[in-house]
Formats: sequence, structure tokens, C-alpha cells
Amino acid sequence: MFGYMGKILRVNLTTGEIKVEELKEEDAKEFIGGRGLATKLLLEEIDPKVDPFSPENKLIFATGPLTGTTAPTGGRYMVVTKSPLTGFIASSNSGGFFGPELKFAGYDFLIVEGKADHPVYISIKDEDVEIKDASHLWGKRVGETTDKLLEEFGDKKARVACIGPAGEKLVRFANIMNDKHRAAGRSGVGAVMGSKNLKAVVVRGTKQVELADKEKFMSVVKEKIKKIKENPITGGGLPQYGTAVLVNIINENGLYPTYNFQTGVFKYAYEQSGEALAAKYLVRNHPCFACPIGCGRVSYHPAVGITEGPEYESIWALGATCGINDLASIVIANHLCDEFGLDTISTGGTLAAAMELYEKGIIKQEELGDAPPLRFGNSEVLHYYIEKIALREGFGDKLAEGSYRLAESYGHPEYSMSVKKQELPAYDPRGAEGHGVTYATSNRGGCHVRGYMISPEILGVPVKLDPHDVSEEKAKWVKIFQDLTAVIDSSGLCLFTSFALGADDYAEMLNAATGFDYTTDEWLKAGERVWNIERIFNLKAGLVPEKDDTLPKRFLEEPMPEGPNKGHVVKLHEILPKYYKLRGWDEKGYPTEEKLKELGLDKYY
Amino acid sequence: MVKVRVFATLRGIVGKSELEVQADTVGELLEKLYNEYPKMKKELEKGAVILVNGKNIEHLEKLNTKLKDGDVVSIFPPVGGG
Repeated sequence: MFGYMGKILRVNLTTGEIKVEELKEEDAKEFIGGRGLATKLLLEEIDPKVDPFSPENKLIFATGPLTGTTAPTGGRYMVVTKSPLTGFIASSNSGGFFGPELKFAGYDFLIVEGKADHPVYISIKDEDVEIKDASHLWGKRVGETTDKLLEEFGDKKARVACIGPAGEKLVRFANIMNDKHRAAGRSGVGAVMGSKNLKAVVVRGTKQVELADKEKFMSVVKEKIKKIKENPITGGGLPQYGTAVLVNIINENGLYPTYNFQTGVFKYAYEQSGEALAAKYLVRNHPCFACPIGCGRVSYHPAVGITEGPEYESIWALGATCGINDLASIVIANHLCDEFGLDTISTGGTLAAAMELYEKGIIKQEELGDAPPLRFGNSEVLHYYIEKIALREGFGDKLAEGSYRLAESYGHPEYSMSVKKQELPAYDPRGAEGHGVTYATSNRGGCHVRGYMISPEILGVPVKLDPHDVSEEKAKWVKIFQDLTAVIDSSGLCLFTSFALGADDYAEMLNAATGFDYTTDEWLKAGERVWNIERIFNLKAGLVPEKDDTLPKRFLEEPMPEGPNKGHVVKLHEILPKYYKLRGWDEKGYPTEEKLKELGLDKYY
Repeated sequence: MVKVRVFATLRGIVGKSELEVQADTVGELLEKLYNEYPKMKKELEKGAVILVNGKNIEHLEKLNTKLKDGDVVSIFPPVGGG
């Protein structure tokens, strides 16, 4: 199989059994790889109703056909499992170098099953796969764990994906860190890893990805790299300022969520922008495998030394939504999240909800004891509670459950700015209606990378859509973005390529790599299939669209108080029915039999 | 006078983040800026996001969007991230 290694590595931590299986070509053709194919395998292999922390849940490390190739940004992989945060499908994407190395070792997928009776790690050197004791690493932070494992492994070229203390303690938004600072960040995939007593996966491979038409592939790739380098976003703003270049534009547009989304304008945004980060803390860029963009930041702050990031989302989550303007504190907080293995978005989102609950008198100081008061703008809170959350100590134990469970425990779930219990990212949908629909319908809950409508609604790429329009045209773009994103995620590429490339470009690269002769529309159809199989997983896990495809009440009932979007609420009730219809789902949001037959998915539902 | 804020790569061209310009429309404002900072035109030819008081001129009257004293015009070269 070209583009694929053709193998699935299956490791059962309960029995110690390790086996290698063939990857089926028909599966690859239908679900591409990565996010899509891993969801299909998970749906077939587990009961979607299973407790995410039980040994019956599985953890799938999944690459795509372009992972490990020279395709621009071909360094991505996904971690797919059932989420302990949402109770629905989790598929977290990460860059760096771990995904390609897994392929070089000969595997498209690593499926981890069961639960070890003591801390272990999985060691992979091509065909030599072992489950090894990790007792000496339990409790260690990400940096130290990575260094020790590389030393033990005896090959500095190996790559490590591991959890920090947060994953071990089953924090519901713990992530998996690879290459120390790259995160499979969302939905608590690190907590599932911790529930299996799996501290890390170390991998080193010596193989190459075989391509269907090497010459054609090289020529197509060269052309796409040129497009990316010539594009002003991927060749200009992103390399120069990183993802944080967004801070100012989102704030100026009035949708930079501040004080737990109570407003969309932060008067200190300038001080935490990409421009400020570049001037004060940037050391150099750090591209992932095969990336011509290089948005990754290597930063320095005396308190933490050389570190990476912070990214746009992290600056916001550990900044504006907590009312914190001090960029130095944000750099330190971001480093701590990386070291403890915490998702920065959910960490900031949960703290912001706690701050609002505290300032409204719902959380009392007596509960916090000697801990610092949970006031907006208090950067001391950040550093203190990041550690407490990761270790589940004191009030950190309540915060470790995420904003929804926290707010609900006080009888006020409305203060959790989440969808399907997952904290929302850095865009207030009262300033971008289409983006609001992607939040409400995202299969993995509150999320900005399952159809990034900010691109057409705010950045004007690839078309300029009015952010407040709720027409069928807007709903159509939501569907296109969601399906195309599913193709890119499943291929093993980074979503940032989509600022410069279109659906035709991805189809060309995929065909040259795999030898499939799909049209662009057929690849998009595969993306639609991926979207629908995720939906099926969620429905079987207990999703009720009428209840779960929605937004926090704040966006639907509280008009934006200031700025360019003053007076606006999200008109979800107007646009959601149009979206459902375009998806071929019924008026309540359930896929119709006809649509599932068209996609060949009727046997799954 | 209109307050103009420039961002990202434009700051290197203009040498500061804010300036004040007298203009009746966005088009006139840009012409004045291009005369003073010719490199700015080249940078914005690749695409731009221009906001008047936070509202994108694409959804107002584009280059004909009227300006009045005290308005804030924010100019971005093409940017992206997420």
C-alpha cells in the first residue's frame, strides 16, 4: 500500500500481548487514515457507551498517508479515543516529529488496549516492540520524562510521546505531549493514557514511506511548498509572528473573549500580542517535521529558561479570559501546562469559570483556604492552580474535572463556557455566527479546528463572508470547512496549509502518494464520511442533538456588551436547521438513512 | 483626524503602531498612507483586512466607507493562525 506502511501495531497492556495486523486497503480508501480511520476502528472495537477510564476504552495513535512524507507539514498524527471530558469521540492532533517516526518504524496505527497493573511505557524500535517498566518515571514532569527515556532508549533520534502528572491523576483535560512541547491537547486523551498506566511511547524507525508515483509526488509537493511560501499568511505573518499574530485582529474585531466571555474586547491585548511576544521573548522559530511555515516559537524567560510557545490559544486562555495581561506570567503558565501535561485551553477556560463563580460569590474563599482568591487578573492564581489541578490537590481537585462539572456542582452550569462539556477556544461567536455553528456541532465538543469559520468570516480567506450573516450560504461554508478539515486531519497534514491550499491541492498530493484515483469531490466525500462516522459514534455514546448541539446560554441570550459586536447574540436557531438540511440529516440533527446509505455508513447505525 | 492602527509586518514599514491622518474615506486614507509609505501598498496588495471602528469595510462600503473625526481605522496585512 503506497502512502501507508500497511500495518497496525496492537499492544494489550492487560495481557502483555503485542501483535501486528494488516491495514485493510478498502478502509484506507473509505476513511483516508488518521482521524477518520481511527474513529472507524474505535467504533468497531469498543462500545461507545464504555466508561472512558475503563480498560475497555482504547487509545489509538493514528497517522495519515501523508505523515512522514515530504508533503508540506506532513508531520501530524492524531490520538483517538473516547473522551473523559465530553463522553464523546476524542481526536486530538499534534505535530512535531513523533507521528513520522511511528511510520518510519513501520506502523500506521498504534492501538493500545487494556490496562497495565503498574506504570509502563511502550518501546518501539522497528519490529522490536516491548512493554517496559515506568515506575521510576511516574510522577515526573514531561521534560524530565522525555530526557530520561531518551537516555534509557540509547538513541537520541528516538521520539517520545508521554503524559505528565496531570494524565496520571486523570485530570479530565490532560494532554499527551510529544517532543516535550507539542500537544495532542484536547478532550483529555492524556487522562485515558494515564488510566491505562501508560506513561509514554518511545519510537525509533528506519523505514521510509513508499509512494505510488515518487516523481509526480515530488513535483506536486514542490509546487505546493511554493504556494505556501508565496502566500502572505503561511509565508509571511505566521513564520514572523506565530499564531499569536491573531491576538490583535481578533481583539480589534471585538471577539477576543475576556473575563470568561463576559465581553469580547480586552484593553490589554496589545501587550500579549504576537508582535509583543516576538519583541520580548522569541528566540527563534521551530518548525515541525517537513513544515515550510515554521509557526512554532522557541521562547526564553529567566523563570523557566528556554521553552516553546505560547500559541495564540494559550496566550488567550492563560491571559484575557482570566483577565490577565502580563505576558511574562502567560509564558511561565504555558510552560507549566506543558510540563504537567495540561491542555492550555481547558485549563484557562476552567480557571476563568471558577473566577466568575468566585466573583459572583458562588465559590467562597473558605473553600479555598489559604489559596489565592480566584479573582480575574490575578496571575498568582495561574501558577498556583496549574500545579494544584495537575496534582488534584485542594481545590485543584474540583478544577481538574473541567469547567462544566465544576459549574454544575454549584448549580450554575451556565458559567461554563463549553460545548459538550469541552471548554471553548479564543473566539466569541457573537462576532462570527458561522463559527458558532462549528462550535455547536463539533463532534469533539467546543473546538476551533473542526471547521475554522474565523478564516472566511474574519480573516477573509478564501472568501469574505459577513460574520453576522446566517444564510444557507453560510451554512454551506460550515459544511465545506468541516469536511475539508476532516480530509486534512485524516491525511496527516496541518490545517494551516489551508490558508494557502485548496481542496484540489490536497487531492493531488493524496493521489500521487497513495495511487488512488479519487477526484477532489471524492476526497471531500471521504471527509463527509469521517464527519458522519464521528456523529454515529457520538449518537451511540448517548448524544442527544436537541440538547447537545448548542451553545452556552450567554451567547444566545446576553447581547455582547461593547465593541464592534455590541448588541449581538448568536442566532443559532436560525442557522442550525439550514446546516442540518445541508448535511442530509433530519430536522432534529440525526443522519437520515438515505445519507448514511450514500456514504456507505448504514451498517454502523 | 482619524486614528490609524497598523499591525504585524506593517509596523516595520511605518515604524510605529499608531498614527493620525485626515481623510474622508478609507480610499483617500490609503492613498495618503501609500504616498508616505510606498512599501505599505506592496504589502497590502497581497490582501488586507481593514476595519473602521472594528467593522470590516468589506461589509460596509469598501473603499468608499466614510470616515469622521475620532474614527479608528485598523489595518492588517493578511494574517492567520488559530
